[in-house]
Amino acid sequence: MLVVVASRYDKAAEALVGSWAGQGASLLTCEDLSVVGWRHHLTSSKDSTAVVGGQVVGVEQIVGVLTRIPCVFEQELLQIVPADRSYVAAEMNAFLISWLSRLKCPVLNRPTPTYLLGPNWRPQQWLYAAAQLGIPVHPMRRYIALSGDVCPKPPEMPPVTVTVVGDRIFGSVDQALATQARRLADAAKVDLLAVHFSGSESGADFLGADLWPDISSPNVADAILEYLSGGGGKC
Amino acid sequence: MLILLWGLPGESPLAAVYEELVRLGIPTVLLDQRDVLDTEIELSVGSNIQGFIRTPYQNIDLGAVTAVYLRPYDSRRLPEIAKAGATSSAWQHAIAVDDALLGWSEITPALVVNRPQAMAPNGSKPYQLEQIRGLGFSVPETLVTTEPSAVQAFWECHGTIIYKSVSGTRSRVSRLGAEHVERLANVSCCPTQFQQYIPGRDYRVHVVGTEVFASEVISQADDYRYAALNTEATEIRACRIPQDVEERCRVLATAMNLPLAGIDLRCSLEGEWYCFEVNPSPGFTYYQQATGQPISSAIARLLAAGSCDRTSGGSDFLKTYAQGIANIVG
Repeated sequence: MLVVVASRYDKAAEALVGSWAGQGASLLTCEDLSVVGWRHHLTSSKDSTAVVGGQVVGVEQIVGVLTRIPCVFEQELLQIVPADRSYVAAEMNAFLISWLSRLKCPVLNRPTPTYLLGPNWRPQQWLYAAAQLGIPVHPMRRYIALSGDVCPKPPEMPPVTVTVVGDRIFGSVDQALATQARRLADAAKVDLLAVHFSGSESGADFLGADLWPDISSPNVADAILEYLSGGGGKC
Repeated sequence: MLILLWGLPGESPLAAVYEELVRLGIPTVLLDQRDVLDTEIELSVGSNIQGFIRTPYQNIDLGAVTAVYLRPYDSRRLPEIAKAGATSSAWQHAIAVDDALLGWSEITPALVVNRPQAMAPNGSKPYQLEQIRGLGFSVPETLVTTEPSAVQAFWECHGTIIYKSVSGTRSRVSRLGAEHVERLANVSCCPTQFQQYIPGRDYRVHVVGTEVFASEVISQADDYRYAALNTEATEIRACRIPQDVEERCRVLATAMNLPLAGIDLRCSLEGEWYCFEVNPSPGFTYYQQATGQPISSAIARLLAAGSCDRTSGGSDFLKTYAQGIANIVG
């Protein structure tokens, strides 16, 4: 079984699960965390169960997981009384961090303690990491004052995006940029990453990166499926 | 050398470290969170990191900062900000200041006690427990579940069990008793954490760089931190723990990238040492006052030493880190 952990409002995730129906893909939403059937033993995965799409499944039946939510949002916990939603969201989030971290199957991306999608780096952290790898960057300047902040201006031209899925790289860019994108993914210890450059030629500036690539692209979706099905996936 | 402290000046651990740094004559600036509305930040990040913090009283060159001690609270909880409300410019400014300084503390080459990223595992107790187990300590059998029958079976298996938050919110330990049976069905709403109860003696071990301060906690409460609420007495006294346990604490803190850590241990009746949790921002003054251990002095020296070593390519902490990893691997 393939599992996509997503918001119930994530249409792209829903479509992906639909297109992977033949592979037994199912959506895991926050609603599933309020259903009898979860058993997460810390010292052993034997006898551990999960609830996916309302159904109880053995954890060993799950062969791959794609995560599409950064955290559990209290606004989605309609099944919980309003006064408890904030606390329950924190509890569910902390639980998913532990549960996703412990899975033995490929997980895109593994969560970190602050973010279900991977490392919760701020724009300046991505920029600094890129610069440390020798990728050309424009320094990011920020001025914060009560009278009004000055934040970096968005680029004048739309950025060129490179998507990393395991060892596969997507985007019409020079090979040098593809290599840089993969190196940045290695530095962040992720296998799913969108990296934005100022152009498609070698020497283009790094503009930013995010852990929310466009999964509606068939090539990217196929690569994710291949990764989760064991072709290039890391357990 | 310049040490930056950030938080509320009246807060006990921050005040104790500040006092020690001043006593040692080490150049130190204390950024008072209450001045957030008058705080301006300039930050430039590229292949290097530059910036300034300006308040009516200070002009801090972030490039000159060699070590940092972080004890900030969420600035939105400051009375002035909370009163202004979520739509106010004061609220937005407070968020921006917190974000900029926490972001800077993740990437600055200065020694940071402790980096937010390294502190984060404490926000998911089972995640951190898995780290602790992987680093050589025994941990209690743990079940997180939405299934009342699984709780019953776990309870029967272990005789006595406790429950506690999965996250860092409302993190208090309680023993499961007959009065909870009727409410067990509620676990179906949200994954809930249960642990085997380990009878024994509690210990709090503070690791500061390579220094270790152990204290023994004598209390009948399930969670001695809240014993006073139930008018239960708690006695804390300095003690020695076995050298191998002390070394494991050092390795644990080092591997978790925590120059400062408060480690909660329990020695079982059979003499087995369990670790329950590693607190990455310990309120060490509670223990310092009870035991007389010079923890704040050790933190001050760590901050000063860390900063001295930076120019030679790595702090003592980093050296210890490498050694800790070598010990684990070896």
